[in-house]
Amino acid sequence: MRKEVWFGLSIMAIVVGIVFWMMPPPSQMTNGHLGLLMLAMIVIAIMLGFPTAFTLMGMGTMFTFFFYRSVDPSTAVVRTLDLMVQRAYGVMNNDVLVSVPLFVFMGYLVERANLIERLFKSLHLATSAIPGSLAVATVVTCAVFATASGIIGAVVTLMGLLAFPAMLKAGYSIRISAGAVTAGGTLGILIPPSVLLILYGATAGVSVVQLYAGAFFPGILLATLYVGYNIAYAKLVPSAAPPLPEEDKRVKLPKFAEVLSRTHRNVMAGLVGALKGKRNADVPLRTVVNHLIIALLPVAASGLLLGSIYLSITAPEYVVPSELQEMGLAVMSEEQIEGLMEPEDAEKTEAKEPSAYSRPEETAEVKPVDEQKEEVAPGERKPAPTGFWITVGIFAAGLAVFYAIFTFARLEIFKMLLGSFFPLALLILGVLGTIVVGLATPTEAAAMGSFGGFVLAAAYRQLNFSRVKESVFLCAKTSAMVCWLFIGSAIFAAAFALLGGQEIVNNWVKSLDMSPIQFMLLAQVIIFLLGWPLEWTEIIVIFMPIFIPLLSYFNIDPLFFGLLVALNLQTAFLSPPVAMAAFYLKGVAPPHVSLNQIFIGMMPYMVIQVIALVILYLFPAIGLWLPSLVYQG
Amino acid sequence: MQKFLLTVDKISTFVGQVFSWLIVSLTFLITYEIFSRYALDNPHPWAFDAMLMMYGTLFMMSGAYTLSKNGHVRGDVLYGFFPPRLQAGLDLTLYIVFFLPGVCALCWAGYTYAAESWAIREYSSITSEGPPIYPFKTVIPVAGAFILMQGIVEMIRCGICLKQGYWPSRQEDVEEVDVDKLKEMVKVKDEDIAKLDQYATAKKGSDA
Repeated sequence: MRKEVWFGLSIMAIVVGIVFWMMPPPSQMTNGHLGLLMLAMIVIAIMLGFPTAFTLMGMGTMFTFFFYRSVDPSTAVVRTLDLMVQRAYGVMNNDVLVSVPLFVFMGYLVERANLIERLFKSLHLATSAIPGSLAVATVVTCAVFATASGIIGAVVTLMGLLAFPAMLKAGYSIRISAGAVTAGGTLGILIPPSVLLILYGATAGVSVVQLYAGAFFPGILLATLYVGYNIAYAKLVPSAAPPLPEEDKRVKLPKFAEVLSRTHRNVMAGLVGALKGKRNADVPLRTVVNHLIIALLPVAASGLLLGSIYLSITAPEYVVPSELQEMGLAVMSEEQIEGLMEPEDAEKTEAKEPSAYSRPEETAEVKPVDEQKEEVAPGERKPAPTGFWITVGIFAAGLAVFYAIFTFARLEIFKMLLGSFFPLALLILGVLGTIVVGLATPTEAAAMGSFGGFVLAAAYRQLNFSRVKESVFLCAKTSAMVCWLFIGSAIFAAAFALLGGQEIVNNWVKSLDMSPIQFMLLAQVIIFLLGWPLEWTEIIVIFMPIFIPLLSYFNIDPLFFGLLVALNLQTAFLSPPVAMAAFYLKGVAPPHVSLNQIFIGMMPYMVIQVIALVILYLFPAIGLWLPSLVYQG
Repeated sequence: MQKFLLTVDKISTFVGQVFSWLIVSLTFLITYEIFSRYALDNPHPWAFDAMLMMYGTLFMMSGAYTLSKNGHVRGDVLYGFFPPRLQAGLDLTLYIVFFLPGVCALCWAGYTYAAESWAIREYSSITSEGPPIYPFKTVIPVAGAFILMQGIVEMIRCGICLKQGYWPSRQEDVEEVDVDKLKEMVKVKDEDIAKLDQYATAKKGSDA
């Protein structure tokens, strides 16, 4: 037999062994022990490969019936049926899970807009100066695309077709190429909008808004660590990731740009020069003006951003409670820090005021004060805090540097990014932004995202009936899979709770007398180990309900726990033998790339994930800062 | 026999695909509702109920479709490595042990639940003057019946596989990761991948 089979069988044997070790003799068996037995049986049954939703449903029904029969045999059937249908109807009426089909649908639409090729090419050119640029571009492409589409299999396959050959041709080692594709593709699990976080939110009763706000920075952190690893590796072992040859870096310039770049290296100088009519003999004025507009977009965008920030922070006091949310985050933090550091400065204390009063429950108290102030200076704008002007300075300096090195080749790259990277980034940030700022519920934002997917596909001329049809059918199948699983787990969890299995687990864990940190570590290790044989959906819907009730005992924030779990479950995608990412890549890799080579390539990324987990654990603020900000405002 | 199996597959698929279009109406309904609320200042209280009903109906009615395409998530640690006969034997056993009692119970419970709701002409209580809710509750037994029918077909498939030693064929359907389609989308051909092998083999000496 294959070694995978032995691996599976030995896990089953371990589970059975644990059950025998923990079970009291049959004479002392209580219902609670029956619950534990059920838990062990479910692990074995899932590993036998029967569709998990029906395994859960069937087992839940049976054990519920056993329980009710032990209470009162005459009403057992009726009560079991009642419980089942109520659980099922609860899932059908679950206003958190509504966003699952919508986000899934958005993902399929975005995937079919066929953006990934352009995205990879433009990012690859944009990063060509960095060591290991192809691997870096791969990770970034994966991160952006996987975030927007959320379909791990498709992202890994597509990148396996696009980036993997490109890296091999450029002389990258198989390890680093395979690692970048597989690890990058799984980033979509963590970075919101992700379905995993919705499922966790629905299971644990944590607000999806908070989860999304919380997972944003850990996701970025992980992506940054991946990029950093690639750069460092390429620097240390240049033979594994050689720099690109010059001709690959060169961007082919359109005709007008070639003409203009002969006289001016810099875009602004060239375009403005051409506008004056000196050397525009063979360059049409329209082209010049169009490109000037494109070249000025960064200024316009930052102007717009800073302008709106300025308007909102200097707005007259009485609108503060509602306007506060729209503040730029960076500015907000600087302002707070400075305000705290120098409280004697009158100007800054005033600037600090809104954040101190920003709790919703305090607004009622604050109002009279505001009104008084309004009388003193009706509608007058407040002076902007120093932090704001510092930000403006940073922006201005950044723009100055940007324009100083803005050559015509870079203009071309910028145009390519404009056509691939920015629409996706805008879609993601738009969806997240409206959720986090509180303009829309996750469901509404998901619907807007799906709508955005339509628009995106239409804008890239990829919207036709057959594509929409495919997306619709795929979405229905995925949603049915997830939601039926949820029905199954709802019935199963009810049975587990009825039998009192939870009681026994709780008492057992409490009797171990662990500190919160020990419990946290134990939970993470268990989830990590479960990630090897099981898939993340099963872990979330079956095992999270067991951990969640213990969190309050150990005083652990379920939000923080959820972030750790999400980060942890990423490894489930990279851990053999059920590492789906590796199999998808293997499916499109050249025949001589072995599965083992791909696995070896993924290993460093698993280590990075563990490091990220430790970092998040040591600095919870990475995850909790944004949610706390949102909930204050 | 095969014809009968495929007919049931087709029915499940048809029903599932018809209801799967609800996702489009769901998208547009919510988008319009947001527009109506913010731009026209005219929110509709029934929108929330409508949203839940669309979502619930969508996924319940797609259950049988998903089952007919073997789309429900399985624990794949061991299953994929088993020979077809063992797979079919295990599946058949577990269909009888877990699937039949669970889904039959759901059907029956759903039937009485919906019947009660019809009897009192129940209306939604999420918002005041909510829409009627009894058609939505009817979805539970109907979806349960479809999934039960499809499950019986799957059990027959297991039986056939046990007899002949390989799985009977299924209807084709759109796949989440359709490698050929994705290859076409990014214009990569099989020859290109085969050509890449030289890099893979050349590297092997130094890398592995």
